[in-house]
Amino acid sequence: MIAAFTITPSFYLILAAILFSIGAVGLLVRRNVIVMFMCVELMLNAVNLTFVSFAKALNDVGGQVLVFFTLVVAAAEVAVGLGIIVAIFRRRRDATADDLRTLEG
Amino acid sequence: MTPPISTPSINWLAISPEIALAAAGVVMVMLRSVLRRRPITMPLCVVVAISGVVAAGAVEYRLWQVVDHHRAISTVAGMVRVDLFGIFLGVVVLGATLMTLLLSVAYLRREGLDAPEYLALVLLSAAGMLAMTTANDLIVVFLALEVLSIPLYVLAAFDRRRLSSQEAGIKYFVLGAFSSAIFLYGVALTYGATGTTSLTGIASFLAHNTLLDQGTLLAGIAFLLVGLGFKVAAVPFHMWTPDVYQGAPTPITAFMSAATKAAGFAALLRVFGVAFPLYRADWRPAVFALAVLSLVVGSVAAVVQTDVKRMLAYSSIAHAGYILIGFQTATSRGREAALLYLFVYSFMTVGAFAVLTVATRRGDDRHSLDDYRGLALERPIVGGLLIFFVLAQAGIPFTGGFIAKLEVFSAAAQAHQYVLLVIGVLAAVVTAYFYLRIAYTVLTPGEETSSAKPLETPRRVDVWSGLVLVACAALVLVVGVVPGVFVHWARDATFLL
Amino acid sequence: MTDFPILTAIIATPLIGAVVVTMLPSRRPEIIKAVGYGFTIATLGLACWLLADFSTKNIFFQFVENQPWLPGIGSRYIVGVDGISLFMVVATALLMPLSLLASQRYPSQRPKAFTAWFLLLEFSLLGIFLSLDLIMFFVFWEILLVPMYFLIQGWGHERRQYAALKFFLYTAVGSALMLACILVLGFLHQGATGVLTFDYRVLAAWAYHGLSLTTETVLFLGFMIAFAIKLPLVPFHTWLPDAHTEAPTAGSVVLAGVIIKMGAYGFLRFSFELFPHASVNLAPLLLTLGVIGILYGAVVAAMQKNLKRVIAYSSIAHMGFVIVGIFSLTVLGLDGAVFTMLSHPLTTGALFLVVGMLYERRHTYEISEYGGVWRSAPMLTAMFMLAMVAGIGLPGFSGFIGEFLSLVGTFVSRRPWAIAGAIGVIFAAVYMLWAFQRVFMGKPSAITLRMPDVSLREVIVVAPLLALSLFLGLYPKAALDRIEPSVKRTIVNVELKTGFHEKRPAGYSKTTLPKGVTASESIRLGLGGP
Repeated sequence: MIAAFTITPSFYLILAAILFSIGAVGLLVRRNVIVMFMCVELMLNAVNLTFVSFAKALNDVGGQVLVFFTLVVAAAEVAVGLGIIVAIFRRRRDATADDLRTLEG
Repeated sequence: MTPPISTPSINWLAISPEIALAAAGVVMVMLRSVLRRRPITMPLCVVVAISGVVAAGAVEYRLWQVVDHHRAISTVAGMVRVDLFGIFLGVVVLGATLMTLLLSVAYLRREGLDAPEYLALVLLSAAGMLAMTTANDLIVVFLALEVLSIPLYVLAAFDRRRLSSQEAGIKYFVLGAFSSAIFLYGVALTYGATGTTSLTGIASFLAHNTLLDQGTLLAGIAFLLVGLGFKVAAVPFHMWTPDVYQGAPTPITAFMSAATKAAGFAALLRVFGVAFPLYRADWRPAVFALAVLSLVVGSVAAVVQTDVKRMLAYSSIAHAGYILIGFQTATSRGREAALLYLFVYSFMTVGAFAVLTVATRRGDDRHSLDDYRGLALERPIVGGLLIFFVLAQAGIPFTGGFIAKLEVFSAAAQAHQYVLLVIGVLAAVVTAYFYLRIAYTVLTPGEETSSAKPLETPRRVDVWSGLVLVACAALVLVVGVVPGVFVHWARDATFLL
Repeated sequence: MTDFPILTAIIATPLIGAVVVTMLPSRRPEIIKAVGYGFTIATLGLACWLLADFSTKNIFFQFVENQPWLPGIGSRYIVGVDGISLFMVVATALLMPLSLLASQRYPSQRPKAFTAWFLLLEFSLLGIFLSLDLIMFFVFWEILLVPMYFLIQGWGHERRQYAALKFFLYTAVGSALMLACILVLGFLHQGATGVLTFDYRVLAAWAYHGLSLTTETVLFLGFMIAFAIKLPLVPFHTWLPDAHTEAPTAGSVVLAGVIIKMGAYGFLRFSFELFPHASVNLAPLLLTLGVIGILYGAVVAAMQKNLKRVIAYSSIAHMGFVIVGIFSLTVLGLDGAVFTMLSHPLTTGALFLVVGMLYERRHTYEISEYGGVWRSAPMLTAMFMLAMVAGIGLPGFSGFIGEFLSLVGTFVSRRPWAIAGAIGVIFAAVYMLWAFQRVFMGKPSAITLRMPDVSLREVIVVAPLLALSLFLGLYPKAALDRIEPSVKRTIVNVELKTGFHEKRPAGYSKTTLPKGVTASESIRLGLGGP
């Protein structure tokens, strides 16, 4: 029966862990800077989900407050990160990490 | 009627250093927007920046007096804890910041990058670092980490004409954001396991409760270690270091290698020393591996480099390995050694990068070893200082570098970490070899085959950069000759942890 | 004048000299040279004063100075001199001005840097021989690498890069392991007694009963690697011929004269007092390595085509005698070893100086390029011959006394090794005479015929060394009187600490401490306390 199937906080935690892993792996294997950037966002939001789930499980509001901090920081990172990417775009038409090989050794 | 909202009491003095730096940064941005491109803007901003740092330093001094008599100040609901440990590393951060600012004045003019934003970003980043040294809550550590990192991403990419600088910026950004996310996940897991993010709270929770399932907490500790490992550039989380150090404007490289590392280790030492002392048996082997890898990879990879900035980047990885040795012992002598090492290392590395800044020509892109051939013969003082700084980093006796290494090795010997001790001394041999190679190159006349002089350098070093060079050299020398008082400070700074 | 800190003055003089030289203008080489001579001769003067003031009555350390230095680490500035280090100091101080004088023409490039590095080298060497604190000893040991590296790298011959790198890596690895052992020893002492100190005398009085035999052996081996590399003992010797060959003349003189003695000095000073059980247990190993060094050095020297390499390998053989004498664990053997450590700088120094003179004339060390040198340069030939016979141990010269005592000591305690070593003496005569024959005898080529003979300056450089060697060969008592009290103390301490019995020739009475010195005083090396 579907009704007997209860959703515990650990489901959310596992989902968050999966999302985090997808983000981490994506960042390591993808070469497009924008996609890498999106992977970081995915990781941060996975952490948010973790915070909220723990806050619910512990019955503590602190964890939910922390999410706001994370959101603000993520927004700041987006602004700066996109700024740098745009600056590079202006000089060259492309934005894949493999092209960034002036520095190597 | 709704109950009144209670706000935590705030000891404003305790957080004034950060406020001073951030305020100076904000004032500069405003000055820029009000005054536009008037010739007065830049000098005015330099004055504001330096006064901000000096004010922060004065507050640190006042705090030092207060804390010395009354023990630590805990404020903002226990999220900030000002103790001698924080003040010690705060002074290191401020010192490195001041040096960077002074070094940047002539650099920006030479490179045509005159921009108050640069100075403002340095100050904002430094404010984040200061917050990091006194953070007593994982979420404050995270915020400080971001406040220090985000301006640095921009600073690394600041030289818009040089592609390598932009590459450095983007690489630093992607990997920095990655490490922040990992760190934050560690915070979340630790929060889940202990129900708090306060460091002292975690410690007392763990002291009074036995966890049935330690997996969450251990995973959290591991993620925290990885996240901070990125910041201090410990192997295997060091991939960004050589590229970013090489590409970033040289004064910023100095800033990153000195101040960021000090802040990163401040967090590492505090988080693990305060929150997880009971889990020592679990994290010490991991730190052991980090230390060994950093030493081996840092010293061996540096030998094969041909670019001096890259070489110094790898050497900073090896230095992180030495500091990790002190951290790994988890004894008060080990912490003392790590603190002293950070202190000495900051000034050695700022000094070395300062020489690179003044010795290169416009463009800031000729840093291969060959470009430095014969530097000491053409410009004896600048070249001599470079030799001094690399020999100090090699740990030649009568320099601060030697005392720092000796302290670290002593800590390892006392803690019976004989494997680390032997790996450490052998790595010191390898690093000494490539430092000697730099020193030798600088001392040897170049071949007269090519007519073009490789270094068409400005003959004179400007006053501020000269001041930086002399101050760094003097500090490193003084620590090497009369280390007593510095060892004493470092020891005091470990007690309250 | 008993309060005058003479040892500090001896250490500091070259350092001050180095600092002064770096401040001089590099356009005035004559001033730089004069300052270089001034400071090295001043150091020599102080060393002679030390020699004159040295008391033969005191078996412990004299002129001791003890000041705090690194409080956090427990290291102090402690210097002192006894019969073992006395002559190393004198030999160092003597060789330095002579080497500078010998290289007056050679470092035509950058005399300023050369002189400064050279003075720094002297500073570190004197520090090594006078330190009584292990950390301080290491500090000087480590500093030595820097000037030596730059001297080889900057003023050496064709393959100097390779030689300097090899020199650096070998010795740095050795000293790194030594540092690890020093720290382990110091902190084990702290763990056991609560006192953090690196005072060699304190540790020596504790280590023999405070360490387990395994720990003692491991630490002994750690120190041994550092010393064996410097000495060099045979498996660790390959840096030496390269460094010798590529180094400038002054560098070779110092390398052969003093630097390789550091290893032997380390064994005498530290291994016996700190790790007596391990020293006794592992003596056969070191004796064997020493004998291998003697025979191997001799055989390989005979096959060399390069004159400097011949002398380099002969140094390996000579140091073999030293190590055999030391690990014979007899007073006679130790006397011989210390005496050789004094005599070898004189004879080998003279040989390298003469070879340097040949090089200045012909710019080659290849033996086959020479032949019949005696025709054009009879005085040079005579000098080489005297230095050679002094070195191979002709009675009447100092080399003989040292080797003889070493071998007698070994013969008493370990007969088979002594016999093998004695064969080495014959080999030494063979390869040196053969080299002499090929270089100086025979039919001279046209270029050789035009070679000028020695100048007065060159005679002044070599003559004091040969004269001293002759003096010590005829009247060894002058040196032995000062060496022997400390040597006896060393042997007695080993006996007291381990229950080992020194083997003595029939009819000789047991080695004892002088009247008024108790056993516990001897173990504490004269340091007061409980």
